[in-house]
Amino acid sequence: MSEKRVLVKVDNLVKYFPIRAGVFKRIVAWVRAVDDVSFEIYEGETVGLVGESGCGKTTVGMTLLRLYEPTSGRIIVDNEDTTFYFMPKFKAKKYLQKTYIEKFKKEDPSSFTGIDKKYYDLYKELGESGFYNKLLSELNEKKSEFRKTMQIVFQDPYSSLNPRIRIKTIVSEGPVLHKVIKKSEVIDKVKAALEEVGIHGDHMYRFPHQFSGGQRQRIGIARSLLMNPKLIVADEAVAALDVSIRSQVINLMLDLQKKHNLTYLFISHDLSVIKYMSDRVIVMYLGKIVENASKKELFDEPLHPYTRALMSAIPVPNPDYKKKRIILKGDVPSPVNPPSGCRFHPRCPVAKEICSKEEPQLREVKPGHFVACHFPGSLK
Amino acid sequence: MDKKPLLQVRNLKTYFYTEDGIVKAVDGVDFEVYPGETLGIVGESGSGKSVTSLSILRLLDPNGEILEGSEIIFDGKNLMELSEDEMRKIRGNDIAMIFQEPMVALNPVFTVGEQIMEAILLHQDVSKNEARKMAIDMLRKVGIPEPEKRVDEYPHELSGGMRQRAMIAMALSCRPKLLIADEPTTALDVTIQAQILELMRELQKEYGMAIILITHDVGVIAENADRVVVMYGGMVMETADVKELFRETRHPYTWGLLNSIPRLDIEQERLYNIPGIVPDPLHFPPGCRFNTRCEFADERCRKEIPPLYEIKNGHFSRCFYYKKVEEAQKLKKAGESA
Repeated sequence: MSEKRVLVKVDNLVKYFPIRAGVFKRIVAWVRAVDDVSFEIYEGETVGLVGESGCGKTTVGMTLLRLYEPTSGRIIVDNEDTTFYFMPKFKAKKYLQKTYIEKFKKEDPSSFTGIDKKYYDLYKELGESGFYNKLLSELNEKKSEFRKTMQIVFQDPYSSLNPRIRIKTIVSEGPVLHKVIKKSEVIDKVKAALEEVGIHGDHMYRFPHQFSGGQRQRIGIARSLLMNPKLIVADEAVAALDVSIRSQVINLMLDLQKKHNLTYLFISHDLSVIKYMSDRVIVMYLGKIVENASKKELFDEPLHPYTRALMSAIPVPNPDYKKKRIILKGDVPSPVNPPSGCRFHPRCPVAKEICSKEEPQLREVKPGHFVACHFPGSLK
Repeated sequence: MDKKPLLQVRNLKTYFYTEDGIVKAVDGVDFEVYPGETLGIVGESGSGKSVTSLSILRLLDPNGEILEGSEIIFDGKNLMELSEDEMRKIRGNDIAMIFQEPMVALNPVFTVGEQIMEAILLHQDVSKNEARKMAIDMLRKVGIPEPEKRVDEYPHELSGGMRQRAMIAMALSCRPKLLIADEPTTALDVTIQAQILELMRELQKEYGMAIILITHDVGVIAENADRVVVMYGGMVMETADVKELFRETRHPYTWGLLNSIPRLDIEQERLYNIPGIVPDPLHFPPGCRFNTRCEFADERCRKEIPPLYEIKNGHFSRCFYYKKVEEAQKLKKAGESA
C-alpha cells in the first residue's frame, strides 16, 4: 500500500446537525451523524462505505464533498488542507491558527509528518502572516479546483436531473462553469461523454423524462465524468435500479474507473454490491467506523460483531448455501442519544460489561485491518 | 404434489385502461399455492407481480379490470364470482396482506391497537375488551416489547421495523389461511429485514398458513420460498421448486437475472449484463416479451408467444429454447470447476 498515493485523508471528522425547537428555534439537541471518523482513500482504488440507514455514511460523503460543512475535523485532498476553503475568511484564519500555528509554536518540529510538515516548512519560510496570506489567497481558484477534483453520482436518478432542461445543458453546465471545457466545445464533448456511458449522442437534446432510470443514472455519471474528476462519490448509485439494469451500471462504472484511473468512494447499504465493487471496505455504525479493511480481509475474516451480523443478514441467492444466521435484536438507536461506551453494545451478542462503559478505539489488529471492538473476532 | 391447492390462479389477465392505451399489466398468469407453503413471486418493476397479488384480493384501481375468463379459486370458491360483500369477508380474514411501506399502509390517526382491533371485531364475534387483549397478545407474538404500552401508540411513534411487525400482527390477528406479503422488507435495513423474515418463518410454522412472498430480491426468495414463480412483462417466465430453479435454470431471463447479481457466497469476475431496458408495458414487443433482450431470440420468438413447457414435474419454462439455457449452464459449471 505504501507506494500508492493518498488522494483523500480524513482526520477526526465530526458532523453534528442541530435540532431546533420552540419559538426562538433554540438548539435543543444535536444529531451526531458522524462522530470522529478518520480514514484514507488511495488513488485509483474503490473504497466501499457500508452501513444501515442512519449510520452516517451519506453524511460522510456529503461532508467530504463540502455539500455539508464539517463541525470539526480535517479533510486533506491531494496533500492540501481543504477544510478552510469554504469558510468565511476570518473563520478560515482562525482555523489555520488553531490547527497549525499553535501547534508549530508548541510542538517539536521533527515530529511533524505529511501535511503538518509541508505547512511547517511554509511557515518557516514565510513567517506567520506570510503563511496566512499564502494559504488564504486565490480561494476561488482553489474552490474551483476542489470541485473539479471531486464529483458525485446521486442515488435517485429521478430527482437528480432537472426536468426542465435538456441533457446537453445538464451535462455541460458544471464543466463550462469551471472552465473544464469551452463553450464552443460543448456539443462535441457532451456527445463523447454520453457515448462513453452508452447513451446515443444525438439524445443530448432530449429531456430527462424521456429516459429510463438506468439511462438517467448513466447521464448522471456522464455529468460527473466531464468534470475530469479524480474522485467520484457514488452515494447508493445503483440502489434505485432494477436488478437487470443494476449490473449494467456497475460494470460501466468499473470500466470507466479502469479507463480514467478514477477513485471511487462507493456508498451503499448492500454488502454484496460493496464486495463486488470495492478494494477496501469501511463499515459504519451509528456515526462511527467499526471496521476498515481490505475486501479480502474483511470478507474472509470479519472481526467486528456488527460486520459479521451484517454479513449473515444478507440473503444469499443460493438455496443450497448454508450459513449461520446471526439475528440482531432491537433497532438501531437514535444518533441523538447514542448508547454509552461502544455504540453497538445494546445489540451486540457478545457484549461484556466493559463495552457499555468504555468506548473502543479503532485500532490496527492486523496489518491494514482496523477494528473498533474490545473483543475483536469473538463472534463466530 | 397430490395435495389440494389452497389457491389456484388460472389465466389471470388484469388490464388497466389509461389515456395512453391499454396496459396489460398481467397477461395470462397461472399458478397454485398449496397449504402451508411459501410461494415466491420474483420480478422487476413492471413485471406484474404486485398487480397479481392485488388482483387476488380484487383491490384494483377503478381503471383496472380483471378480464372475463380469469379464475381465482381459493378454498374451492371462485373469488371472481363473489359479491363485494362476500369478498370483504375474505379480505383480512382468510386472506391477509402486508405491504411494502408500513407507514403508508397504517392509518396515522388511529393507534396501532385500534387498527388491529378493527380487523378482529370485524371478523370475529368478540367483545371490545377481548379484542384488545387479543391485539396485545398479537403484538407480543410479533416481538414488540412492552405490548401493553405499545398498543396505545400511534404508527409514527414506532420505528420502521416495529411498524412492519405491527402490520404482521394485524394481518395475522384473524389467523388467515393465506398471507400475501408484497415486498415486506424492501423498505427496511438488512438487519431488520433478517428479523422480519425470521419472524414470518416462525409464525408460518406456528399457524401453518401459506405465504405468497413477492419481492425483487432473489436472495430473499432463495432463503424463504419453497416454490418460485419468475415474472416478466406480465407473464410467468419460469416456475419451479426453489432448489430446482437455482440449480436447473431453464429460462434465459431467470438465467440472466441470477448471473447479474453481486453475491457474497462466491467470487465473481464480471457480472453478466442483460442488455437493453425493461420494456414499457404499453408497448410490449410481439412474440415473447423477453425477445428484445434475449441472447437466444430468433424470428420465431419475435412472432409467437412461447407456451409454458413442462420440463420436469412442476418445472415450467416459457421458452422455445430452454435446452440452450441448459447447455449454457453446463458450460458455466464446467468453467467453474475447471
